[in-house]
Amino acid sequence: MIGLSKITVRRLVNVSAVLTLVALGLMVAGLFWPSPLLLVLAMSLGQLFGTSSLALYLLAIALDLQGVGEDEALGGGDRPQS
Amino acid sequence: MVAKPTVQEINSLEQLLKLTAVAAAAIAALIIIWYLVKRPPLGRLTKVLLLFGLGVMPIGVALTGNVSGFEYTLKREFCSSCHVMLPYTEDAADPRSNSLAAIHSRNATFGGESCYTCHADYALFGAMTTKLNGLKHLYYYITEYASSGPYGEKGPRIHLYKPFKNGSCTRCHSTTAPNWLAREEHAGMIEDLRKGDAGCIDCHGGAQVHPRSFNHGGNGRAPTASAAGEKKE
Repeated sequence: MIGLSKITVRRLVNVSAVLTLVALGLMVAGLFWPSPLLLVLAMSLGQLFGTSSLALYLLAIALDLQGVGEDEALGGGDRPQS
Repeated sequence: MVAKPTVQEINSLEQLLKLTAVAAAAIAALIIIWYLVKRPPLGRLTKVLLLFGLGVMPIGVALTGNVSGFEYTLKREFCSSCHVMLPYTEDAADPRSNSLAAIHSRNATFGGESCYTCHADYALFGAMTTKLNGLKHLYYYITEYASSGPYGEKGPRIHLYKPFKNGSCTRCHSTTAPNWLAREEHAGMIEDLRKGDAGCIDCHGGAQVHPRSFNHGGNGRAPTASAAGEKKE
């Protein structure tokens, strides 16, 4: 095992969110400045990041359903709960 | 005096797709930024919102962006974004030029996409093989033509990967029109042309099509900018 217990749901979602922003940036840049290189990057790296981020999010949801990282995930992340 | 419209009109499928992609990207970005800034508990509502922000909307952006990007790659404007294509595309866009490329590019139906229209493969997966070749173009552009001068004159001579097929011409010039058949040269070799034993470009190729091409004796520039006495084929 790779130590799934250490991977919190929230961290996975955070990574997924950042990856998605990068992917969206690349894809939108390809729309506004459609140079050959940028279009290729948007259609390859952009979609690779986008697909990876969705996969990470789905993994996070699956882990959440199994109760992994439950305290952090449901309790509002790294903010202390009252 | 007519006031300029503040909102740009949508005139093509590409523009509509682009607008859809940008709207979907904006919605996704808003959801993600809201999540990253506010750090809400991962309750059911947050999860559903994130599914939209991380899944549904980005997939929408990818789909519409891909189609929009593909549509744009068909345009002559896209081909001319690589400087090594300027000897071809500047001639094609020149209203004074009588080259075959320029004449075809003035056609209202496909002139804006004349490069793709004449050079795309027409097999079942023609669009795909053409785009794969486009990736090959990009590789060569980066590795061999990056510092090749304003018109690519210092780079290797540009050539087609495979012989130009008659099908690219006969797709429009059907070889059955009376005017076409009335030409003695056409009538005399029609079977060879249809079988591919004779090529359209055997008579209509080279400098007739792309006179500014280095391969065909041009220097990349318009005739007025040519060096005096430069020999052309």
